[in-house]
Amino acid sequence: MYMPSVEFHQATTLPEAFDLLQACGPSTRVLAGGTDLLVDLKAKRVTTDHVISITRVGELKGIALDNGSLRIGALTTITQLDESPLLEGGFDPIRDAARLMAVRQIRNVATIGGNLASAVPCADLPPILIAMNARVHIASRDGEREVPIKEFLLDVRKTALDRHDILSAITVPQPPPQFGAAYERFGLREGNAIAVAAVAAGIRLATDGTLETATIVLSAVSPIPKIALQASSIVQGQHPSDDLFARAGEAARGEADPISDIRGSASFRRDLVAVLVQRALKKAVERAGGDVL
Amino acid sequence: MSIAVTFLVNGECHTVAVEPFDTLVDVLRDKVRLTGTKKGCGVGDCGACTVLLDGKPVNSCLVLALDAADASITTIEGIAKDGELSAVQKAFISEGGTQCGYCTPGMILSATALLERKPDPTSDEIKDALAGNLCRCTGYSGIMRSVSRCSNYQSDGTCAKPSHPLPKRDKSESDYRPSSGECGSVGVSIPRVDAGDKVTGRAIYTNDIALPNTVYGKILGSPIAHGYVKKVDTSKAEALPGVLAVLTGKDVPDTMYGVSPARYDEYVLARDKVRHVGDEVAAVVAVDERTAEAALELIDVEYEELPAVLDPYEAASEGAPLLHERYKRNINTHVDQSFGDVEAGFAESYLIREETFTGNHIYQSPLEPHATIATWEHDGTLVLYTSTQVPHYVQYMMAHVLHIPLGKIRVIRPTVGGGFGGKAETTPLDLCAAIFSKKLGRPVKMVYSREEMFHHGRGRHKQHMKFKIGVDREGVIQSFASEIYLDGGAYSSFGVATAYYAGSVLPTLYRFPNYAYDGYRMMTNKPAAGAMRGHGVPQPRFAFECLLTMVADDLGIDPIEIRRRNAMTPNTMTVNEMDVGSCEFLRTLEAVNEKVDWNEKYGKLEKGKGIGIGCGGFVSGAGYCIYRGQVQLSHEKGREPFQKKSTFPHANAIVKISEDGMAAVLMIGAAEIGQGSDTVLTQMCAESLGIPSSRMRIRSEDSDISPLDLGAYSSRVTLMAGHAVSRAGVAIVEKLLPYAALLLDCDPGIIEAHNGRMFVRGDESRCVAWEEVARKYFNDNGPLVGTGAYKPPDGLGGDHKGSSVGTSPAYSFGSAVCEVSVDLETGKVAIDKFTDFHDCGTPINPMAVHGQVEGAVVMGASETILEDVQFDDKGRILNPNLHGYLMMTIKDAPEIFSGLVDSYEPRGPFGAKEIGEGSTLPVLGAVAHAIANATGVWIKDLPITPEKILRALQEKRDSPETTLADAKA
Repeated sequence: MYMPSVEFHQATTLPEAFDLLQACGPSTRVLAGGTDLLVDLKAKRVTTDHVISITRVGELKGIALDNGSLRIGALTTITQLDESPLLEGGFDPIRDAARLMAVRQIRNVATIGGNLASAVPCADLPPILIAMNARVHIASRDGEREVPIKEFLLDVRKTALDRHDILSAITVPQPPPQFGAAYERFGLREGNAIAVAAVAAGIRLATDGTLETATIVLSAVSPIPKIALQASSIVQGQHPSDDLFARAGEAARGEADPISDIRGSASFRRDLVAVLVQRALKKAVERAGGDVL
Repeated sequence: MSIAVTFLVNGECHTVAVEPFDTLVDVLRDKVRLTGTKKGCGVGDCGACTVLLDGKPVNSCLVLALDAADASITTIEGIAKDGELSAVQKAFISEGGTQCGYCTPGMILSATALLERKPDPTSDEIKDALAGNLCRCTGYSGIMRSVSRCSNYQSDGTCAKPSHPLPKRDKSESDYRPSSGECGSVGVSIPRVDAGDKVTGRAIYTNDIALPNTVYGKILGSPIAHGYVKKVDTSKAEALPGVLAVLTGKDVPDTMYGVSPARYDEYVLARDKVRHVGDEVAAVVAVDERTAEAALELIDVEYEELPAVLDPYEAASEGAPLLHERYKRNINTHVDQSFGDVEAGFAESYLIREETFTGNHIYQSPLEPHATIATWEHDGTLVLYTSTQVPHYVQYMMAHVLHIPLGKIRVIRPTVGGGFGGKAETTPLDLCAAIFSKKLGRPVKMVYSREEMFHHGRGRHKQHMKFKIGVDREGVIQSFASEIYLDGGAYSSFGVATAYYAGSVLPTLYRFPNYAYDGYRMMTNKPAAGAMRGHGVPQPRFAFECLLTMVADDLGIDPIEIRRRNAMTPNTMTVNEMDVGSCEFLRTLEAVNEKVDWNEKYGKLEKGKGIGIGCGGFVSGAGYCIYRGQVQLSHEKGREPFQKKSTFPHANAIVKISEDGMAAVLMIGAAEIGQGSDTVLTQMCAESLGIPSSRMRIRSEDSDISPLDLGAYSSRVTLMAGHAVSRAGVAIVEKLLPYAALLLDCDPGIIEAHNGRMFVRGDESRCVAWEEVARKYFNDNGPLVGTGAYKPPDGLGGDHKGSSVGTSPAYSFGSAVCEVSVDLETGKVAIDKFTDFHDCGTPINPMAVHGQVEGAVVMGASETILEDVQFDDKGRILNPNLHGYLMMTIKDAPEIFSGLVDSYEPRGPFGAKEIGEGSTLPVLGAVAHAIANATGVWIKDLPITPEKILRALQEKRDSPETTLADAKA
């Protein structure tokens, strides 16, 4: 399995990257960690004449806290995300998802930007980032714009990035008080597994212990992570309980839009969704300091 | 456009020309020439290519070389400092952390990076750090022990005094028996003789060899499952710059080949038809592998597609597409055996139970892909370097296809990165490389990609089994009948033997008074199935173990008790005329029973927890050679009829003593493929020579050096090659005795050789150094050489058709208990603990035995719950890679206890029998039973996936009986 003979370019600054994007054709691919793109190129799932490596673009690196909100440079590796002290506390759920991803060799290279921009249905970071209301920052010659992550992911392997754009950063707002989030996923094996189904939940408790807001995100069971609106609305305003979460799980089972493949049938994935929704909600409530009856 | 780039590798600068698209692994291996970094999959699934970039482990197949240009790179060659191994390397040697060695460099680098970060890791941290490194041999147990040993790791690669007690292997009674001095160390857990090379990256695998002037070949596989090849246009490929030659079916010998002489049905490249996706159609050789790969896409093949048949029952149906004219109704092999009076047995039974079981498509997936280098010498000798378990059969088959004498072929088997049966045949790589090399007059290297390995196939046969058992009131077996359809794929491969094995080994474990077996090996449009660890037996054994436990449940008998009542006894001729000698099966049952506190657990565990028993055993070497008659002289020789005796020795050894008497070189063709044969053969030979094993060297890799040995299959090496090397040792001692007698001034008959000395029996003070006697021999006579040979006993097996399959000089036995936790909401199974006791005769090297068991447990558990090659309705493999074909990682592997019971096999060398394949057999049944015990539902088709468990639980919940029971409750 060899890489095809593509034209290979290295950008060291963002303006350089924009120039290269302009100069190369529309099929050009941007290379960050490469753990998806190199595999796709070797397997000939992706064909392109030009690859632009942005691994040396300093502006895309680093994690920072700004007024409580977290800004994660697109080139931040999954390991850096996992090990950053800035994630301790409120941003722990992101770390949970990071730790579940692939294996250390991949996490040492793969980037958060790549995990989003690849837009594969089973990616581990998008669901939890949606549940935590993250926003994606997109840089181009015209400056930086930002979109909520759920508007960034359009379809399987399709994002809001246009051919002149570079995903530059992800920001996660400071979680409000009594907020909790959790990511639960099911893989067929323990190490190096791909999510067969996954659920992220982000909830906020009201002072009376009821769920003031709830976002339940289903993943690997639809082309892009899907917010289970019905399930979310079932729990909203209610006191958390196993029974309530079971009903939410049942609603989410219907909201999922899974496919059947070698990892499991659509109906199995729906079953998993029903279970994972309950587990994610329970953990999120516990993280928010609430009790589940 | 290549660029000169300087890399900092292991602290040294290397400036090499790099293409922008080169990945780091290729630059390290091909340009810096550090081949310790292995290629296993090319897409980041296996971790064999792990290197450290600025101290962090990465898959070097997924890093562009240019991106690594400013990093500090550490490869396995950089771990030892000035020849001093690091603590991790030493631990991998002493704790059995390496077997075939292909995963070892990556493992050691991942472990080293972890220990640099966390000098005292928890076991979960170790597992997380190593989860990206697949191992197919060790079951990860030796690896866990190795890394755990390195606690309190220092940055200079050493360990300070451990801060907490080292994890100790729980030893069984017969472990680590004291040896009589250090001598040959038979019975002692000495480290592998090749471990030092394997932990440092010095072990040379076929793909690591770079002969000058080498060119590279690739093979084009069919995209369709069944069809006629109408036209092959290679002109565009030939026109590609760098392409040197192209082969198609018309350019290869018109000679079919295969494994079983009665069923040679493969051409080197398809001549008329393709019969499965990936069936070899054409081959290209070019200046580099990349160009050859690119050229394949330029070959135009016109096919006339035929309907494909993918199911063995459909294949047998009227009007099904026929794969081969010669196999009517697609029946490749039909077995029809009946012993005793099966119907009378059923008539007398108190309880009869019939069940249907289905197996899965398992692929061996050794970490090292198949590789070959062929080169012809000027005298017309073909030299073939190949990653094989069976150098002799490769030599034999090359002679057959290329029409040259066996003696003109030299097979070199470099270090082999695992086989498990997947490298037990001559491959199209071997044949195409030889043909290309002859044509071009230069060495040709060919390597399978991971995907091509799956398409080449030869994995375990998927079996469809209908079993019927009859027992009396006490659970004693009265009669057993089986009907098995084996999914054979498109060619025979080992399949004739597989079909017989599927029936013949079952009666060696339990006493069957009456037994019938009806087997059909069917041709289907899938890659050929072949021989895999436990050849033909694991799936029927799984089914039988499940059925026996079901019957025990029906009768209210404990599942261990029913096994006691039916257990094989020593010195028994089975109903199908297999001659069982030593047999400590009952002891293995009692040992697991006690070790796991079975009576305290079985039936008493909380919901979702389960415990299960499974048993099994295997042959210690096939009683007969794969081909009949005498050793092949040339291709012109006709087939000879079957005789019930070995016409030539199956294992042969030469020992040569160095002129100063200080070293013994053992030459034997037995194939070390990671299982440890070089080590145990060294031990046995040293023991019989009477010298320490540290004075021995073994040369097993070259057919020009070593005499014929049939190779590593049918778990034959310890017993058969063990006899050959021991006899060669004895032959040397016999030559020395007269000289020792002279020096000691005594009768030769009272002299013993031991521990590097020769002395008068009963008076060790009257002694002379072994080497002194050897020197004297050389001074007087010239070379001191001894030879030894082994033929299996004559007359093994009965007179019925297929009676030779399953015969063996000896049989192994084992019992295993598996403990699981099942998530009843998702169906997910965690295999928590596995306890195995084996009767492998007297172990030559207990650590090596445990290593085989631990590896078999994880491989077997993995195939029970995870592994399955899946096909779409066009016969295309959906998961020909290691992220879709799921093998257990270190995080999935259970905690394993491997124990041995005292046993002595009179037909084995030093009382030894096999362990490698037999250790797989109890596993599947034990896992299946544990899951049934945890969930209350039996899953009878493999693999037992979470989805199947969940469905069965739902069905049970929804069934009227359950509802009724609930209502009553």
